Amino acid sequence: MGTFIQLVIDGLSTGSIYAALALAIVLVNQATGLINFAQGGMAVLSAYIAWALNGFGVPILPAILAAIVASFLLGAIIERYLIRRFEQGDPDTAVVVTIGLLTLITGFCAWVWTYNNRLFPSLFPLETIKVAGAVISVRSLGTIIVIVVTMLLLQALFLGTKLGLALRAVAINPASAAFSGINVGRSLMTGWGLAAVLGAVAGVLVAPQLTLTPGMMDSALVYALAACILGGLSSPIGVVVAAWLIGVLENLAAVYIPFIGHDLKIAVPFILIFVVLIVRPQGLFGRKAVVRV
Amino acid sequence: MPSTAESTSRTPVLARPWVRWAGIGLVIVLLVVGPLLLPEFANQTIARIGVFAVAVLGLNVVMGYTGQVSLGQIFFVGVGAYATAWGVDNDWNVVLVFALACVVPAVIGLLVALAAARLGGLAIAMVTIALPIVGVPLAKRLSDLTGGSQGTSARFTDAPEWTGLYDDQWQLYIVILIAGITFLLTRNLVRGKYGRAFAIVKGNEAVAGSMGISPYRYKVLAFTIASLIGGVSGFLYMVVIQYTSPETLHFGHSIELLASMVIGGAGSILGSLLGGAWYVLLPQITNLIDPNITAMLQGAILLIVLFILPGGLVSLPRLWRRRRGSLSTPVPDQTTPTHDAVIIHTERQDQ
Amino acid sequence: MSTNRRKMRVASVVAGLGIIAVLAAGCSRGGGTPNSTDDGAAEASPGITDTSITLGITTPLSGPTAGPGTCTVAGITAYFGAKNADGGVEFGDGKTRTVEIDALDDEYDPQKAKANYDQLKSSVFAMTAGLGTPTNRAWREAAIADEVPQALIMTGDPIFSDVGESPWQLGFVPIYQNEGQAFGELLAGSGADHKVAILSQNDDYGEGYVEGFKKGIEGADNIEVVKELTYEATDTSVDAQLTELAGSGADVFFNAMSITPLVISSLQKTQELGWLPSWFLPSNTSSPSAILEPGGAAAFPGVYTVAFAQSASAPTFADSEDGAAFLSALKEYADYPDTPAFPHCVWSYQVGATLEQVFAKMTEPTRADFMKQLRTISGYTAPLMLEGSTVDTTQDGQPAVSTVQVQKYNGKGYAPATSWDE
Repeated sequence: MGTFIQLVIDGLSTGSIYAALALAIVLVNQATGLINFAQGGMAVLSAYIAWALNGFGVPILPAILAAIVASFLLGAIIERYLIRRFEQGDPDTAVVVTIGLLTLITGFCAWVWTYNNRLFPSLFPLETIKVAGAVISVRSLGTIIVIVVTMLLLQALFLGTKLGLALRAVAINPASAAFSGINVGRSLMTGWGLAAVLGAVAGVLVAPQLTLTPGMMDSALVYALAACILGGLSSPIGVVVAAWLIGVLENLAAVYIPFIGHDLKIAVPFILIFVVLIVRPQGLFGRKAVVRV
Repeated sequence: MPSTAESTSRTPVLARPWVRWAGIGLVIVLLVVGPLLLPEFANQTIARIGVFAVAVLGLNVVMGYTGQVSLGQIFFVGVGAYATAWGVDNDWNVVLVFALACVVPAVIGLLVALAAARLGGLAIAMVTIALPIVGVPLAKRLSDLTGGSQGTSARFTDAPEWTGLYDDQWQLYIVILIAGITFLLTRNLVRGKYGRAFAIVKGNEAVAGSMGISPYRYKVLAFTIASLIGGVSGFLYMVVIQYTSPETLHFGHSIELLASMVIGGAGSILGSLLGGAWYVLLPQITNLIDPNITAMLQGAILLIVLFILPGGLVSLPRLWRRRRGSLSTPVPDQTTPTHDAVIIHTERQDQ
Repeated sequence: MSTNRRKMRVASVVAGLGIIAVLAAGCSRGGGTPNSTDDGAAEASPGITDTSITLGITTPLSGPTAGPGTCTVAGITAYFGAKNADGGVEFGDGKTRTVEIDALDDEYDPQKAKANYDQLKSSVFAMTAGLGTPTNRAWREAAIADEVPQALIMTGDPIFSDVGESPWQLGFVPIYQNEGQAFGELLAGSGADHKVAILSQNDDYGEGYVEGFKKGIEGADNIEVVKELTYEATDTSVDAQLTELAGSGADVFFNAMSITPLVISSLQKTQELGWLPSWFLPSNTSSPSAILEPGGAAAFPGVYTVAFAQSASAPTFADSEDGAAFLSALKEYADYPDTPAFPHCVWSYQVGATLEQVFAKMTEPTRADFMKQLRTISGYTAPLMLEGSTVDTTQDGQPAVSTVQVQKYNGKGYAPATSWDE
């Protein structure tokens, strides 16, 4: 039983890494209708900025805050000058543009900071706590708590605030939104800027564990996308729950289903998605998309 | 007779039949004679372009023409390559090996599509992502079939003595022949009734259904054909590279194929060829510029190309024509409604 | 008149094509697989002149393996950069030549590695130092057919060192089996009973280590393997595996892991779980400053590794004469200012030194002579090698470096460990 609980807790911890990125992807999708493949790359760049500032002597918390501000500006600028051109066109082209952006950002990070693994200072003390017979590190617990808070903030943003409503309106129907007096351009930039901020938070949360390299978030990206589709691209709560579910079920399947083992456990999230999408095509928590014929 | 002279001068140059035939003739002569003249490295590069042009063509069938997201095309290429390696290692006749390389991926594609096509765009996307991601550890696990993580080599395309050709020339001829036939068949497919059905399914599934075209059936068909073409690409991969490993199936290559398809030109036969060229030539070009910053260069070049040509490289003539022919007429604006919104906003303020 | 005109057009086009075809059939080109020269005076191979020789490298310079990959180029470039600045390398035929390095990025994609090989083979003398098993395997057979040396490459795959299978190849680093076996033998020599838990990377790297380890403990009835698990190189965490292994009650943990962040998190996680076994780590992921210190390795009763070269991140390295020369050469000639976190920088430097030994023996500027002399180095202590390790290329089936030493972490760096019960 101890192993089971430990695996569940480890799964929540790993799942939180995926959830962090997934929340940023959800935000961009809700604000601009795009899937941003470069979200992880932008998160890594933010983490590098924080690390670099810290290396110049800035204490870690102000460095992170500075990186967050820089990320907001970066996200907004990228949207305005790069993505804007492709938003109303073919969605496949827009996705490939984000892929190109990912390659560019990864290459840029590698050029400036090389591929060596950089140690990122941990925000949380390196201690462990015993929970129900299993151990969890304070760092993992802290990550989970931050994710939950972020998720609730995002949910509140979308459902409760004027800004959130404006963001969604612009994504769903830019022309109507414009007629309602919403500044479409500024709304799009804000959406990308906020998503970049989320990404920065994700980046600095996971960097201590994964060590900072240009490709740090690449493996997490696929899981994050899986979590988005499983949870529903319109629901922050949904993607976080989905990410946790993926992390936990993967671990359990690897240990308790010997046929799957640790090498094929990666199939588990996809089987899960497949099963869920048969029953609920919009994802666990998503809203049904209505298509006018 | 003046009327004939007038009519010939009115049709654009490229549409005139004899120019068309001359062009085809020229291409055929080049394809036959080129490999004999070009240096070895050029032949090898063109052969590789052929391999990945076929892979992009398959992706175009399901994504460019039928509008279904597929991020797993490289899986079918890999399965085709592994099937080829297995067949060669077991001393099968080459024609049977080719058939195996076509049939195995097609069957897998059919099964996958049968299950996923009913479920809508997201499910297809996720299932296709799953294919290469699960495929890599699966290829490692089935090491008796696949040679495990060390991969397997299969040399079977050394030029036979009676041809007097060098290996690279022989391989290029094989690629030209098979890729050429694949391209021709696919071109006929997408220009025929199936192509029209695909286009309707891509445009609006509800309309397709109401016209009696079952979206489900045509999605399955498109996906199976794409997998089959992927298998052909895998066979050609073994012809040219003669080695495959789980790395062949890596998910990152699927993303590269997607980018190549869009850059070449989605939904276009010529675009598939250009996409294959992009896939092969971009890394080589960035290596020539500076091998230490290939990633940054590749990202930058991709963004620049898409910025200038959002429709892909195949839309270059269109862009050229638009710039030349419309100095009087304004270029249709590609800006978002923001532009219009700002105008309306300011107009309202002025009142 | 129009039909006449059309006929004339057709005729002229056909004639034009025919002329091109005839001209083309008349010309042909050289190239393809080379002819073997049996004449006495050896014709120089490509890539070598009286004043310079060019070596080619195809290795990952971008992507997840780019850290070690960049090192495989940096080390050898630094070595020959320093030599070139001193005037060049003396060859056995009496000429002094500068050594140029032509490196290309293959993004750890076997297809691109083969493409790089195709591009380089006619302009370089020999290929060397590339990283990766699938990437090197992809063009191994082509190199054999084209008779291009694939010498001193960075992979522990045994096939490259078997002369019968790979007459134009030779590996540099010890095969994975050797490293695992060295530790297994040390453990087997212990006086007490031990239970071993194994975690290995799911590819030829991990499999090789485990195979060697099991060979090393063969017949020793005081050693029992209680659990064996694998992980994927792309995993973000191995917590689940560690949880399972911790429950096995093993007191020795054999960890054939080549991913730096996973090793650090494994060191931390096992402590969190309260499992404190003795550890084994492979030579390329056991750096004291980059891995053991962040992971808090001092908490374990023993952390062992195998090595044949000094670790560039050990505290005393920069103080030693050889170490300082190495670091400054890296900075000056290879544009690599940081202290290397991967051992491949040192290994690549040693490849350069070994190649210099081969060049000094070459009497003809041909690839055939190069391969012949390559297999004659024996008892050579390359710079930055540990005491007792040598380069020996004369053994069929073994790479250039085949003997490794087991070392134990002493809180700061490594010290040799000759027996378990120290």
